[in-house]
Amino acid sequence: MSDGISKYKIGDAVMVASENPSGNPRTPRYIRGKRGVIGLVHGVLENIRDHRGIHKPLYTVRFELSELSSGHDTDTIWVDVHEEWLSSVRPDS
Amino acid sequence: MSGKHGHKPFEGHMHDYMAHVKAVEEDLEYYRAKRFEPRIFYLLRRNVVTFYDLLKVRSTLKKTDHFFRIAKLQGKNIEARVRHLEEWLDEYVKGIALVSARTVEGMDMVTEDNRKERGDYDDFFKIKKKEHHGTLEERMVNLQQDLADYTELLEVFVQALLRRGWATREDLAQRWKQLHEERPWAGGVIVAKAWTDPEFKQALLATGREALREMGVHQGKVGKLVVVENTEHTHNVIVCTLCSCYPYDILGDTPWWYKHESYRTNIVKNPRACVKDMFQLELPSDKELRVWDSTSDVRYFVLPQRPAGTYGMSETELAKLVTVDSLIGAGYALDPSQLREREAAHVAAEIPRVRPD
Repeated sequence: MSDGISKYKIGDAVMVASENPSGNPRTPRYIRGKRGVIGLVHGVLENIRDHRGIHKPLYTVRFELSELSSGHDTDTIWVDVHEEWLSSVRPDS
Repeated sequence: MSGKHGHKPFEGHMHDYMAHVKAVEEDLEYYRAKRFEPRIFYLLRRNVVTFYDLLKVRSTLKKTDHFFRIAKLQGKNIEARVRHLEEWLDEYVKGIALVSARTVEGMDMVTEDNRKERGDYDDFFKIKKKEHHGTLEERMVNLQQDLADYTELLEVFVQALLRRGWATREDLAQRWKQLHEERPWAGGVIVAKAWTDPEFKQALLATGREALREMGVHQGKVGKLVVVENTEHTHNVIVCTLCSCYPYDILGDTPWWYKHESYRTNIVKNPRACVKDMFQLELPSDKELRVWDSTSDVRYFVLPQRPAGTYGMSETELAKLVTVDSLIGAGYALDPSQLREREAAHVAAEIPRVRPD
């Protein structure tokens, strides 16, 4: 399913860029360079009180805790990330 | 930790004064260093207000022209003094809201500007928070002095905006009045309806705000709302690791610990240990813990599980079981026996303040 705006769909495996100076600064450090799976697709959200201009499409990306730290392995962290921070990866690569 | 700034239920009588005082200290520094002073820096840099405006106001302002009037302390016992500090903090927080970009359009400032200015993306800009030490008495005296100092700067800043013509006294007075009107807290009503009306629950989980709009619940403009459901297999917890994003337009004032660095760091580092240490929640090992880290455009809250022993209860009764903690994942909804125990002990339910936005 595509909304025609967002590049990724639910279930796509993605990697967060390690650095992205021109990207949205609201990408937490602990997920940079980490792999996750698209959990929710939000599209482009308008939020004029919050920021100027329009951001790229937004996703909630699901990360296994084991990818981020040494925690309990069934636990997951779901983080909102804008599209310019993401790239495709093959799920098992 | 208890009280309206704590994550434990508000108690009709205070038992732990130190916890209340620490909660006020935390919140006060948060609002000063994260909400108020960055705004002044932003406006100083742009010549909207200058240091010299502030100096001039400070030296010529008459007490009778003060905008903020702090209620006198009623009674001298510790409980009365602690409540006075809490009320004063609340006035300070409202005062900051009074001079937000929404009220004073000449400022031309969005939330993101404030985040930059306070160092969310660059430690260089971080404003150091004050550390507190000492006995209860020393801390209360210090806190009172801080509140007096911080309120004075706020007063001078408001007056400088007026003198520079960025706002009129009438507009601010009207806004000030609005800020003292509270909206009903809808957390309990929303959850109770979701527990009893499967169609509504489905709509709530699928569309968030749309479902609330149909229900007539007031809501502001703080981004998309996503509601995540706790089940037998999944427990959800909400955080904003970058700052403190929270659906405050619906759930009201953010608990102080939600904004605290230790929660924001530990909940994503070792969530299971964090919920155990902070909230005494021991999750079964086969239950998945999901942490939702909001980054401003989406706001989350948790739909807690309906407690056992509530079959046949009305929505009104069910709503009483819903705690603020349960909507963040920092606790469960009460079961009816817990509610009875609290009522028998005269422990009042914690109802956050929901401010107009």
